[in-house]
Amino acid sequence: MADITLLALFEDIDPAADAIEKLRHMGVTDDRINVLSGAPIPYKMLGRPHPHTNVSKLSLGGAIAGALFGLFLNFGTPNMYYVPVGGQYITPIPPGLIVLFEMTMLFALLATFLGVFLDSYFPNYRPMEYTPEISDGKIGIFFKCAENEQTKIADALGVLGAETIKSVEAQQL
Amino acid sequence: MAVLSKYLPGAKKAREDHFEKDDPRQYLMHDPIPRGQMNEMVMESMHATSWKFWMVFGILSVLVAVCFFYAWGYMIAEGLWVAGVMRPAYWGIFLVNTVFWIGISHAGTFISAILRVFKAEFRRPFTRAAELMTTFGLIQAGASIFMHLGRVWLSYWMFPLPNQRELWPNFHSPLMWDLLAITTYVLGSTMYLYLPLIPDLAMARDRSTGWRKTFYRILALGFRGTEGEWRHLHTAMNFFAFAIIPVMFSVHTIVSWDFAMAMRPGWSSSVFGPYFVLGALHSGMGAVAIVLFIMRYTMKHMDYFIRKEHFDALGKLMMMVSFTYAYFIFNDYIIQWYGGNLATDNLLHWLEEGPMSWMFYQMILFNIVIPFAVLWIPKVRQTPWLLAIVGLLINIGMYWERYIIIPVMLTINNMPFTWKLYEPRIEIYLTIGTFALFLLFYMAASRLIPLIPVWEVQEGQMAHTMRKIGKANVSTISDFE
Repeated sequence: MADITLLALFEDIDPAADAIEKLRHMGVTDDRINVLSGAPIPYKMLGRPHPHTNVSKLSLGGAIAGALFGLFLNFGTPNMYYVPVGGQYITPIPPGLIVLFEMTMLFALLATFLGVFLDSYFPNYRPMEYTPEISDGKIGIFFKCAENEQTKIADALGVLGAETIKSVEAQQL
Repeated sequence: MAVLSKYLPGAKKAREDHFEKDDPRQYLMHDPIPRGQMNEMVMESMHATSWKFWMVFGILSVLVAVCFFYAWGYMIAEGLWVAGVMRPAYWGIFLVNTVFWIGISHAGTFISAILRVFKAEFRRPFTRAAELMTTFGLIQAGASIFMHLGRVWLSYWMFPLPNQRELWPNFHSPLMWDLLAITTYVLGSTMYLYLPLIPDLAMARDRSTGWRKTFYRILALGFRGTEGEWRHLHTAMNFFAFAIIPVMFSVHTIVSWDFAMAMRPGWSSSVFGPYFVLGALHSGMGAVAIVLFIMRYTMKHMDYFIRKEHFDALGKLMMMVSFTYAYFIFNDYIIQWYGGNLATDNLLHWLEEGPMSWMFYQMILFNIVIPFAVLWIPKVRQTPWLLAIVGLLINIGMYWERYIIIPVMLTINNMPFTWKLYEPRIEIYLTIGTFALFLLFYMAASRLIPLIPVWEVQEGQMAHTMRKIGKANVSTISDFE
């Protein structure tokens, strides 16, 4: 039996959390459920597994790369392009700390920004499962289930307060 | 004998007023409306454009064309002799503008990042308006530096690229640190503006047609609001909020070192770093008050999002910043006054009774005396036009402060035979041009991107509830972040 994707829309967090629990009881595993919302809802409130993110690791990686670049600018390049200035040291440490700090922060911020793109697969202009009601504040639970279970699950979610339950197909956003 | 308690004449009315004042619906977080309605209001505020808007837009466009592009082109073609900068004031209004605009840009980071870190809830509806000021202010600051350079086509000499003269940037110079710090801040604050904008661009995409739909579709990057997308966004925004604060401090501290590292009367001061940062916050807060006032009275539905409570909170912040600024300015001047250096004494006397003393006294009056005197009063803080006037005066005062620090302090130096008052020439047109360009950018942005972060407002409203404790209903906030 082929799987279909269903969308259940909820007004509030409580019935949405109950619906996710119910789906689990009915054999729909967490990896077949995706919750979409117009404002961030902590995963604990919906009883969902902790979503993994690589953004922090990428920030750290960016910071290290930036620090290395700062060190190169400050201590490497003056020796490559030797410019003596009025008896000053060629590679003094105090001014070097400023260059080091700015480059560390710049690369960390850039890596964090890119991290969001990488982890979220942005930009993504392919057709996707979505409904504009999500940005109107509704909580949308997208889940995959066997076609013959559709009615049973829809009835159960309807009892829990789902406003709409419908099958969805990927569409151009 | 029993003591009877009665309402005094007028007390009953006062009590009723008190209850009216205590109505939680006066606060945005306790006055929720459906998200769909909020979206419609924000979209309508972008689309509803009157002839007055286009008239102001047209005037600003002409000013930008004449005072910014034409005047700058003329200066590039003719050379810096058309400007008033000459010995001893080599640095004139271009750098006054640079410091001023960098100062304005600090408001966005302060409001958005510091208040986000400390979870100050009143920040929610106007973080974006402040962040836009950061980005647009930094563009003006960058343009002013390039104006000051004169031969702008050689600006690539600042970049660490081996060039035909085998000249390598000196990383020990505060001017080089400026380049690095401002570049970091421009890129960081622009990214910090864009990240929380993505969900609102997706909202706009869902409600638009035609070219706007394409525009928002491209900028929204395919955002749908999945758990993963929110998580990545939240992690990144938290990191940005913490990381951009030291960057913000570093930028204006480094700008202050452009002056403080030189052994000149009035400049060589170890307190210049924090003094500049506070000054930047002072002018930035004032500018936010002006922007919020204009938004509230010129854009549709903004009176729902921007309320008296926001002006009140902003007024309190302005008052605190004003106190701290007063502390630093006193600290800076008293030490110079006690120093006994002849050139510094000359400078202080000149500020006291010289031809530019009016500027010095206005600086004290607008930055310290007036905010001190009026921001104590709740009525002033809660009246948008009054707070906007205080903000405007602070900005005038801060502009004078930068003028005193740069051309005036350069004029009164260790060599009295060089003293010559700086007289700006084409700089005046270019200053008008940068102000017009800033306003033009802001007006264009108000029609293209949602100035209210709707999802942040909704998140706040979801987190706020009223809870009964004893006889009173008190505001309670759940931790949604």
